[in-house]
Amino acid sequence: MLSGVAVLLASVGASLGVGAALEVGVARAGEPTAHVSRTISLSETAHLHRTSGRGITIDQPLNEMGSASGTIRGAIYIHLKLPAVNRVTAEVNIYPSGGSITGYATARYSVDGGTASFSGTMSIARGTGSYDHASGSGLSFSGTIQRSNDAVSVHLSGRLSV
Amino acid sequence: MALALTACACLPASASAVSEQATLHASFSPDRLGASTTISFGFQIATTEGLAPPPLTSLDLRMPAGINFTTTTLGLAICQPAALLAKGLAGCSPNSRLGFGSAYVEVPFGTGSGDEIPEIQALMGPPHDGNMVVLFYANGKTPVYAQLVFSGEVLPAYGAFGSQLATAVPLIASVPGGPDVSILSVQSTIGPSRLTYYRHSHGRLVPFHPVGVSVPARCPRGGFPFSAQFVFQDGSSTSASSTVPCPPRRRRG
Repeated sequence: MLSGVAVLLASVGASLGVGAALEVGVARAGEPTAHVSRTISLSETAHLHRTSGRGITIDQPLNEMGSASGTIRGAIYIHLKLPAVNRVTAEVNIYPSGGSITGYATARYSVDGGTASFSGTMSIARGTGSYDHASGSGLSFSGTIQRSNDAVSVHLSGRLSV
Repeated sequence: MALALTACACLPASASAVSEQATLHASFSPDRLGASTTISFGFQIATTEGLAPPPLTSLDLRMPAGINFTTTTLGLAICQPAALLAKGLAGCSPNSRLGFGSAYVEVPFGTGSGDEIPEIQALMGPPHDGNMVVLFYANGKTPVYAQLVFSGEVLPAYGAFGSQLATAVPLIASVPGGPDVSILSVQSTIGPSRLTYYRHSHGRLVPFHPVGVSVPARCPRGGFPFSAQFVFQDGSSTSASSTVPCPPRRRRG
């Protein structure tokens, strides 16, 4: 019966243009549970403003918040650090309706006058709620920082399993 | 407030007989952990024989981990080298200025005590391979009349150092076709001290002071290390280091 449900969900997923796969787990009561993972094509754009910190440093993150729009909508928080003059690392937290997604990114960082830009990749570390099984790696992570006020624009794209 | 250390030159077998010695000093103003600051640095080059050193061709200044130019609001505009050469400082936005200083050079027909190039400006240049570039503009009037632009690239460094400013120094002819001058010393700042930037606000230009490099929030044991490597026209090289001591702890209350 379970496999029949999975086949049904997989076919529904395919008809919606998303990939689907079945995971079987064991619930606390010992009952087998099933999770159908979907693969969605993520394309997010977010505009954020500084909440604390002043510029990025090696030991002090630049903390930003804003809203993401695209495949997933919700509040987004990014903590940026600069471990080297040309490399940035980031923790990205997105809070769509019904859950959250956390990812970590590393990117090349460069400054061109009043604008700094970064481009690299992000991996999904964990999720909660509806995104409990979120996973993905090699997602594109890029954006800009307005150096005068630390306003950040960021774009995320790639394949995300949820 | 800095300790300066010297190091003797490493001479290749084919090099000239003089052996260079360099000293480096660096300081923060203000000197307070976590504060926006202006870095002052300078070096002096001499020879054990008392002769003028060979012309300098490259300088690699390494700065402590946690000191990062890219975290500032310094250099909000880009200065194009061609505009700087053609028009001097007037060719570039004041928002591209990073610091300023002076230098002493020795010309072959000089007095032996050196002659000052009173104006050296540091400006934000176009990035190279994504790396920040610092342009140095030297405006010499006498005895060497020369307006020079040369650039340093900010690159990552490792260990106790966080970044390095790798600078190629052009040869400066004393007179057309004549021998090149020797650099005896350079003093410069990188930071907001005595810099004024401008922004547009409601149709007006409003002056403001840019945010400088932050002194790291934690001081490493022994202080903040600086180091410089000098390479000369004859192939010889020398190095020097300096440490900015940890600032005194601030008392509460």
